[in-house]
Amino acid sequence: MPSVPDYSTAKEPQLVNWAKEGDLQSFEELVSRYRDRAYARAFSIMRNEDLAVDLSQNAWVKAWQRLAQFHGEASFPTWLNRIVTNLCLDELRRRKRARMDSIEEIEEATGPVENRMEIQEVDPMERLNREELRERIDAAMAKLSDNHRTVLVLYEYEQIEYKHIAEKMGTSIGTVMSRLFYARKKMAALLGETLKRDGLIE
Amino acid sequence: MNENEIQLKVQALVDGELTGREAEALQQRINDDAKLQHLHAKLTQMRGLIADSELPRPLPESRDFYWNKIAETIEHEKRAGERAAPPKPVSRWLLRWLAPVAGVSALVLLLTLQQPTAPDLGITLNSDHELEMSDDEIDVMTYNSDDDSMSIVWLDYSMDIQRDYMELWLD
Repeated sequence: MPSVPDYSTAKEPQLVNWAKEGDLQSFEELVSRYRDRAYARAFSIMRNEDLAVDLSQNAWVKAWQRLAQFHGEASFPTWLNRIVTNLCLDELRRRKRARMDSIEEIEEATGPVENRMEIQEVDPMERLNREELRERIDAAMAKLSDNHRTVLVLYEYEQIEYKHIAEKMGTSIGTVMSRLFYARKKMAALLGETLKRDGLIE
Repeated sequence: MNENEIQLKVQALVDGELTGREAEALQQRINDDAKLQHLHAKLTQMRGLIADSELPRPLPESRDFYWNKIAETIEHEKRAGERAAPPKPVSRWLLRWLAPVAGVSALVLLLTLQQPTAPDLGITLNSDHELEMSDDEIDVMTYNSDDDSMSIVWLDYSMDIQRDYMELWLD
C-alpha cells in the first residue's frame, strides 16, 4: 500500500484489498460510495427510515468482519446488499414471532382473495415517465405485506432463484411461488387503482 | 394440474425457472389457450415493470454521523473479541507446562506433609544436652542436661529380668 493512498480515486477492488488488510480508512471510502444503496435496499424491505439506517449500519459492520469471505464473485455493493437483505430478513423473522399472522397471510393460505383478483390492465409506460412510474411502484410496494414485499425484493431486485429465496425465508418453493404470484397481482391492482384515480386510465 | 398450479407454472416460465421439456410443454399449452396467453403477457409486463424500479434513496443522516456509529461498533466489537479470544501461543505453551509442573509440586508437598514425625516429648536437644545409649546394654538409656540440671535414665525391664527378679523375691 502506498504511504498516503488516495482513497477517493482508488478503484473498488483496491479499496477492498486495503480494507482486508485492516485499513479502516479505505473501508470508510467504501461506506461513502455505497451507503445510499445499502440504505435504499434496507428501506425497500423494511419501509421504516430508522430501522433501515440501523440495519444498513449493522450490515457495514458485518461486512467489515467478513471481508475475508469476499472473493469478488459479485461486485462489492451486490455482496453488501446481500448482507443487508439477510439482516432485514432476520429482523422480519424476529418481528413475525412477536405478532399474530396478518389477515392478508391467512387469506393467502386459504386463497379466496387471490382467486377473486384479476390482473389489472396496466400499461402505464405510455403515460408516465420512468421516475413517476418508479415512485408509484415504490408507493405500491409499501402497501404489500412484509412477506410479499420481501419475496418481490429478493426476486426482482436481488435476482435470487426461487429455491434460494425459499432457503432464505425458511419456507417451501411452492410458498415462494404463491407469494410472488399474489404480490404481483396485488401490485398490478394497486397500480391500476392509482392510475385510475389520476385519470390516467379508464 | 388445477388452475392455480397452472398459473404458478406460467409465472415460473416467465421467471426463467422452467427449462427443457417442461417449459416446452407449457409453452405449447399457452399457445393453445387465450386465457393463459393473457396471463403470460401480464406477468411479463409486471416483471419488467418492477425489476428496475427500486428508488435511489439518499440516507437521511450525515455522512460523518452514519460512519461514526459504524466505526465505533467495529472498534467495540474488536475489543470485545480480543477479550474473549483464546490465549496467545506463548501463554498457551506456558499453560501446557505449568499445569503438570504445578500438579507434581502439589503432590510432592502433600506427601512431605504426610510423613510420620517423631512424637513430641518436650525435650529439645542442643549442644548442652547429652543422650547416651549403651552399646552392650541396650536396655538402658541416659539423658543429661546441664541447662536443666537433670539426668534421666530409662530402664527397660525385659521379661527375663522381671522373671529373675520375681524368682529371687519368691525365694
